[in-house]
Amino acid sequence: MRHIVPKSLLGQMLMAVAVALFVAQGISAVLLYRAAEQRREMGYANGLAFQLIAQPQIDIRQTLRHGGQQSRQLRVEHTSSNPLRPGETIDSRRQQLLRSVLTEQGLVPAQLVVTERRVSDDPYMMGRLRERPELRVRPEFIQGEWIIAGLLRPGAKEWTVARVPLLGSAPRQLGQLIMQTLLLYVVLVGLLALLLRRITQPLAALTRRLETFAATRETDGQLEPSGPEDTRRLIAAHNAMEGRISALLNEKDVMLGAIGHDLKTPLAALRVRIESVEDPVERQRMAATIEDITRTLDDILSLARVGRPTDPLETTDLTALVSSVVEEFEDMGEPVTFEPGQRIALPLRATWLRRALRNLIGNALRYGRKANVSLERQGSEAVIRVEDEGPGIPQTELARMVEPFARGEGSRNRATGGAGLGLAIARAIAEQHGGHLVLANRVQGGLRVELRLPTKR
Amino acid sequence: MTDLAPTRLLLVDDEPSLREPLAEYLARQGFVVRQAEDAAKARSALLEETPDLVLLDIMMPGEDGLSLCRYLAEAKNLPVIMLTAKGEAMDRIVGLEIGADDYVPKPFEPRELVARIRSVLRRSAKAAPATDEDALYEFDGWKLDPLKRKLTDPEGTVVPISSAEFRLLVAFLSHPRQVLDRDRLLDMVQGREAHLFDRAVDNQVSRLRRKMEDDSRDPRLIQTVWGGGYRLAADVRRLPPERD
Repeated sequence: MRHIVPKSLLGQMLMAVAVALFVAQGISAVLLYRAAEQRREMGYANGLAFQLIAQPQIDIRQTLRHGGQQSRQLRVEHTSSNPLRPGETIDSRRQQLLRSVLTEQGLVPAQLVVTERRVSDDPYMMGRLRERPELRVRPEFIQGEWIIAGLLRPGAKEWTVARVPLLGSAPRQLGQLIMQTLLLYVVLVGLLALLLRRITQPLAALTRRLETFAATRETDGQLEPSGPEDTRRLIAAHNAMEGRISALLNEKDVMLGAIGHDLKTPLAALRVRIESVEDPVERQRMAATIEDITRTLDDILSLARVGRPTDPLETTDLTALVSSVVEEFEDMGEPVTFEPGQRIALPLRATWLRRALRNLIGNALRYGRKANVSLERQGSEAVIRVEDEGPGIPQTELARMVEPFARGEGSRNRATGGAGLGLAIARAIAEQHGGHLVLANRVQGGLRVELRLPTKR
Repeated sequence: MTDLAPTRLLLVDDEPSLREPLAEYLARQGFVVRQAEDAAKARSALLEETPDLVLLDIMMPGEDGLSLCRYLAEAKNLPVIMLTAKGEAMDRIVGLEIGADDYVPKPFEPRELVARIRSVLRRSAKAAPATDEDALYEFDGWKLDPLKRKLTDPEGTVVPISSAEFRLLVAFLSHPRQVLDRDRLLDMVQGREAHLFDRAVDNQVSRLRRKMEDDSRDPRLIQTVWGGGYRLAADVRRLPPERD
């Protein structure tokens, strides 16, 4: 059932209206049908009553239309026996109706029977047809059903029997009703669809706008409020919120710039002053501390800036990029291996990606003694894999490791590692490129970190 | 500039807590240092005396360092080293593009700053026209932007190279089709990051080949010459820098 229900607002509202309309039309169709039925029954009763009261020497009304003298084909039958044949039952609803009509006309029947009968089962009708074979062209005389009403007046010995043909017009009326309903449907649902589009179009535009804003965080290209009042207010409110978010992000950038400036300048001053310290060992330690602070500061600033890169994407040879980062480590005598394979070129931000790779390789060397780097294409992704030979990370800690300020040994000991931003930055850089970072323990021991980048955008 | 005359520096920084100790430190290193706390003061100091080199902070109240730098480089043709707290790659390129000769992120090691001052002075003493230095190299469909250190292959894909590889490539590009032996290459390549360049020239050449050659075992661009040496087998053109 669920997949039949439309998902969009337009579809759901159209569906709801269509169902409601269907029910309403159905009810009105039933009512109309029943009214028509009543009118017809009333017609039968009146026709029968007319024949019974007037005992006309002329025939029943339906045949009258077919012209003067010729139409006197049926007469009211007079019979001494009860006209109800064996096996026939009294139609009590019609009997009651006819009785009330007759009573209104001042004729209170002693006995009244009403029933339905096929022409072929009626000896009187068959007799009349033998007398006047030309009647056989009319369908109700061949195989139609007739309503037979027999009246025994008070004190009379003979029954008066009248007949009217039963009209088989119910299906035609039903068809008309269905046609009417369908026409109404097309007109109403069509008009409604137009109206609903006026509401849903601005909503669809707003959705697209939200998606763009989420991706770019640019306030350019804001929507003009349009559509009904509610939608207008929604769009206006959204624009205001967009402005606020953008202002917050700008504030953050300004603040970070200020922090960077305001902390780095005194650090620079401190670094200069250290040069006047006499003890070289002490001077070396002080310089190292300042370097640590600077590195952490840079990490925090990059983590904050990684979501809003200022440099453009450039198609870059990823293989050469990985090589050059690996070579930096090689030149410092670190045990890093990389076997360049096929060339993979994709649009990326080289400065950022270098940083991510440095972090990953640096981590592998710090915690895993050795770094084995590989690069390959897997489907629509380029996978940079950094494997180490260290102890790995407990399975339960893996997810937490990519969060900022998370470190493996659960301490804040600077000697065993940085501020715990390396993996968080690498992950943010992967996401900046539309990719992701995957951490896993290797079966052979050690940690495997994969930086996966989409080759197509 | 003779060895006897001390080098005169103009130090422009709005932050006295850095400016003063740095001036003292540089004075101890044998420089004559004049200080200015903003761009306006720097301009008036320049009217009195022209220094040999200007140390310039980028973020300053009033006229910022970039605008003063452009003036110094264009109007005065003075060597400029930018000091900055921002330190993003884009800032470095912007700084170099508007005419700074070097770019030092804060906090810096004072000794390194002195080394860079000397290196910039050495380069400007050779009086190589700065505009020519920025010109793009074009060879065999490849392009090298010396300012951004950006190597682009014939399809327009950026091929990242290390600074050692960059210097090696520039050495080849400055002497196209000439045979350069290992000693000569080592001389040309050793820059201020000499400590990073402790590997043999052969190693760097083979790295560069891996990045640039279709088949690094059958090199077409950087050929090995029998008897010890290498040669760039391509013609080189210099193009005006592409600025984006």
